[in-house]
Amino acid sequence: MATLLMFHGRECPHCKKMMPIVDRLEQETGVRFEKREVWHDETNADLMRSNRAALSSKCGGQLRVPAFFNADTKDAVCGEMEYEKLKDWALKQ
Amino acid sequence: MKKRYWRCFVCNDIHYGVAPPELCPTCKALNAYVEISADEARRILGGGPGVAMTPAEFREAIERFAAVNEFRVNPDAEKVAMLIEGIFANEANHGLKYCPCRLRTKEWDEDLKLVCPCNFTIHETYKGVEDGECWCGLFVRRK
Repeated sequence: MATLLMFHGRECPHCKKMMPIVDRLEQETGVRFEKREVWHDETNADLMRSNRAALSSKCGGQLRVPAFFNADTKDAVCGEMEYEKLKDWALKQ
Repeated sequence: MKKRYWRCFVCNDIHYGVAPPELCPTCKALNAYVEISADEARRILGGGPGVAMTPAEFREAIERFAAVNEFRVNPDAEKVAMLIEGIFANEANHGLKYCPCRLRTKEWDEDLKLVCPCNFTIHETYKGVEDGECWCGLFVRRK
C-alpha cells in the first residue's frame, strides 16, 4: 500500500478543517495518512522540504498546507477540499 | 535587480529597495537617501526604543492596511485568531511573521514572500476571483 502523508500546520485553519474529513476517510476506506505537522517539528518540515519539487508543482509553486502526498509516486494535492475529492485522490494512489 | 538598504541622512528613515525614494516620506527631504549595509540597517532599526508588536497591535495594523485596499480582514474571528497565533509563533520560532499555511523553504528571498501580509493579490486564490482570499484566508476580497 502506498505511503500517504498529510503535511499540516498547527495554526492553519484549512488544516484544522480537513482533519475530520481525513479521519472520516480513514474510517470509511481504510486509507491511512501519516500526519506530519511542519511548523513546530523540524523533522517533518525537512521531510516536506525534501519533496519541494513534487509538492510545489501541485501547490501554487510553494510548500502550502494542507498537502496530501504519496511518498512513493510523488503525486500530491493540496488545500481545503470536499470529502469526495480527497477520497478520489486517495483511492487512486 | 538586487534590493539594498538606504538611510535618509536627515531623519534616519530606512528604505529597502532597488533605488532610494527621491522624497523622504517622513521628513520630506529631497534626495536624502544614502546606501548603507544590511547590518547597519538592522542596527538602526533594532536599536530604538521600540517594543515588540503585540498580536492586538498587529491586528490593528492589518485592519488599517486593509481599510485602504479592496480587501478586508476575514470576518471569521476564530479563523483570524488562529492565524495570528500562528503568525506570532512563527515569528518567535523562525524569526519573521511567516504565513502559518505555507512552509518556509530556508531560502531567504523565497521565504520573504511568505511574510504576512504577503503579496497575495497575484495568487490564483485571489487574482480574478470574485470571492478571492489569500491562501491562509486572513484577507478576503471586499464585496
